[in-house]
Amino acid sequence: MSDWPDEAVDYVQAVADTKLVLGHRCAQWSLAGPSLEDDIGGSSAAQEEVGHVRQLFRKLEGQGRDGDWLRGERDPEEFSNAACLDAIDGEWPDFVATIAPADRAAWYMLDAVDRDDMDGMITKIGEDEYFHLEYHDARLETLAAEQPDGLQATLEETIPAALALIGPASYDDESDPLVDAGFTSVPVASIRERFADHYRDLFADTDVSLSGVDWSTPDADEWDETRRRIGSGGIGEEDLIQIRGERNAMFATE
Amino acid sequence: MTGDTKYEVFARKSEGDDTLHIGNVSAKSDRLAKMYAHNTFDEEDWNYLAVVRQEDLLEVQPQAMRHGVSADE
Repeated sequence: MSDWPDEAVDYVQAVADTKLVLGHRCAQWSLAGPSLEDDIGGSSAAQEEVGHVRQLFRKLEGQGRDGDWLRGERDPEEFSNAACLDAIDGEWPDFVATIAPADRAAWYMLDAVDRDDMDGMITKIGEDEYFHLEYHDARLETLAAEQPDGLQATLEETIPAALALIGPASYDDESDPLVDAGFTSVPVASIRERFADHYRDLFADTDVSLSGVDWSTPDADEWDETRRRIGSGGIGEEDLIQIRGERNAMFATE
Repeated sequence: MTGDTKYEVFARKSEGDDTLHIGNVSAKSDRLAKMYAHNTFDEEDWNYLAVVRQEDLLEVQPQAMRHGVSADE
């Protein structure tokens, strides 16, 4: 049985699902980068995200979630990944501008968790995330210099999806249920501020303007608090088959 | 920031070890070069890893030194 509040299980599920789909996307795009170094970085990030997912799923199983369900025996509408990861249309720069905000949002959410039984795991994940986020930012800087218009257009779509994953701005010190329950120590409103400040600083001296980003989303009344997004949608059927590893079942070991 | 710059990569396994040249990467920025080096040469848990722009390496020419310094230099 769970000793976490229901909202906490959903919160960690959203971080885990975002990492699951992030790992899947990094693996899919790991031969599409502009250089071998980018491909190596993508492959490495994919492996690390899957490692994080295994640890987070173990925690969620400890809170009563079914292991098979966690590992993919569910419908796309039951995944709580950042909505921008449902599908990535475009070229490699669009991939970077999609995964970067989602990865940063998921890390800030995990970093806010205030549980002794999660401390060691979160510290280890944080060591990996330092390099993921630093790489994303380094790449966003080069793309901002080379393709500012395309990058800006993608960020206008992906940043609001990452903000929806973090949660509504109305969840502040007084009203965030997970702060109130003692599960997190940083309210959603503060995480959002930290996230927004980071990207405003990163692009301050570039030709990328973030003035077109809807920084107010999600509206708390429209927000799906379980899936941490606005509206429906989900990953594709082919993604689900690959995540489940259905075609590789014959190679599985117990 | 459009052209790639070559960087030499140096590392040591443990504190006190010699820092060795282990390879090179090409990158569009110093920040990216550091991440490329980290990802590309992660076969060891390095105690120290560094990149140096190839253009910043200063070659020491022992042959020239052996000639000594003339009185008017």
